[in-house]
Amino acid sequence: MKILIVDDFSTMRRIIKNLLRDLGFTNTVEADDGTTALPILQTGTIDFLVTDWNMPGMTGIELLRAVRADEKLKTIPVLMVTAEAKRDQIIAAAQAGVNGYVVKPFTAVALKEKIEKIFERIDSAK
Amino acid sequence: MSVENESKMGEFESVVKDGAIDLLNKLEVGDFSGAIKIIQELSEARHKSFYNEVGYLTRSLHDAIRDFQIDSMDMMMQGGVPETEVGSRITDASDRLNYVIEMTSSAANKTMDMVDSSVPVASELQMQARELHKDWNRLIQRDLTPQEFRDLYKRIDAFLKYTDESATTLHNNLNTILLEQGYQDLTGQVITRVNELIRDVEERLVHLVSVAGRVDSISGMEHESETKERDDDRGHGPAINKNDNPEVLNNQDEVDDLLSSLGF
Repeated sequence: MKILIVDDFSTMRRIIKNLLRDLGFTNTVEADDGTTALPILQTGTIDFLVTDWNMPGMTGIELLRAVRADEKLKTIPVLMVTAEAKRDQIIAAAQAGVNGYVVKPFTAVALKEKIEKIFERIDSAK
Repeated sequence: MSVENESKMGEFESVVKDGAIDLLNKLEVGDFSGAIKIIQELSEARHKSFYNEVGYLTRSLHDAIRDFQIDSMDMMMQGGVPETEVGSRITDASDRLNYVIEMTSSAANKTMDMVDSSVPVASELQMQARELHKDWNRLIQRDLTPQEFRDLYKRIDAFLKYTDESATTLHNNLNTILLEQGYQDLTGQVITRVNELIRDVEERLVHLVSVAGRVDSISGMEHESETKERDDDRGHGPAINKNDNPEVLNNQDEVDDLLSSLGF
């Protein structure tokens, strides 16, 4: 299970990386916005995408839409971890096909819960 | 000064020039009533030109002031209020900076709390380890009585249990400290935005000052306020004053409720 963490702030990437490690996911890669994330995703080695929304260059919602529009990438589960908390934005993310949405500041428990829920759903769909 | 205004000023100048020649001609032929009529016309032209100038400067001033109001709405977290004070973005920037202070202060306090609760654990571990080490050395040197040996046996057992528990406590504390560093992301975003505002305001202030410097008197003008919504796709950054805005969700529970209402 290889996870790509996309956030423009290295502190936040580190936090998420550490929390994921605590949850048993040790294989992670990082990118600082959608533009740098897409080429990594296109290598086909990423199983799970955790992304921020508000980033310079390509934003998280744009990255999500690009992933869903890509025949090879569209099934990758996407968890949004962001400070964006407008009702319309969350609806937009849901419509774009996000699998989970965690608002910052968040707790380790919230992140764990969302990730587990996503995997549960994937497993039950199999 | 606009081209339109410059041409009006030019028009006034040519009116004055032509009028002066006419005036001289009238005076030379002794036509005083004609001369007075020309003086009156010149006076009227001067009034009209002055009026135009004031109107132009007033519009410029109004535009410069309005520039302060544009974009204020997206900073106001889409409150849906059309009229805003000139200072609203500044007030909002001030709120944002207060948010930075709160976040950094809270993170620093929580981090220090964790350190405070970790240090005694580490000290206790150190103290117990040193005590045991002393007796352990005595054991190696076969310097212990059977009773002391039995005690050491129990103490080591208790120590191992305590070490396990302490490591868990320290691990949790360190994780909490790590998580607290998330404030850097949130406050960094806020400060970047406030910086943009400051640059904007400076630019517009320079413009306003240059216009206002030319205005002696301003006639009343109707102010239209413009609002511009920030694009949701580009993101808004962390929400401040969430409770004032029904469009912004306050916490993870509200987000979860919204998503489950959408069938998630």
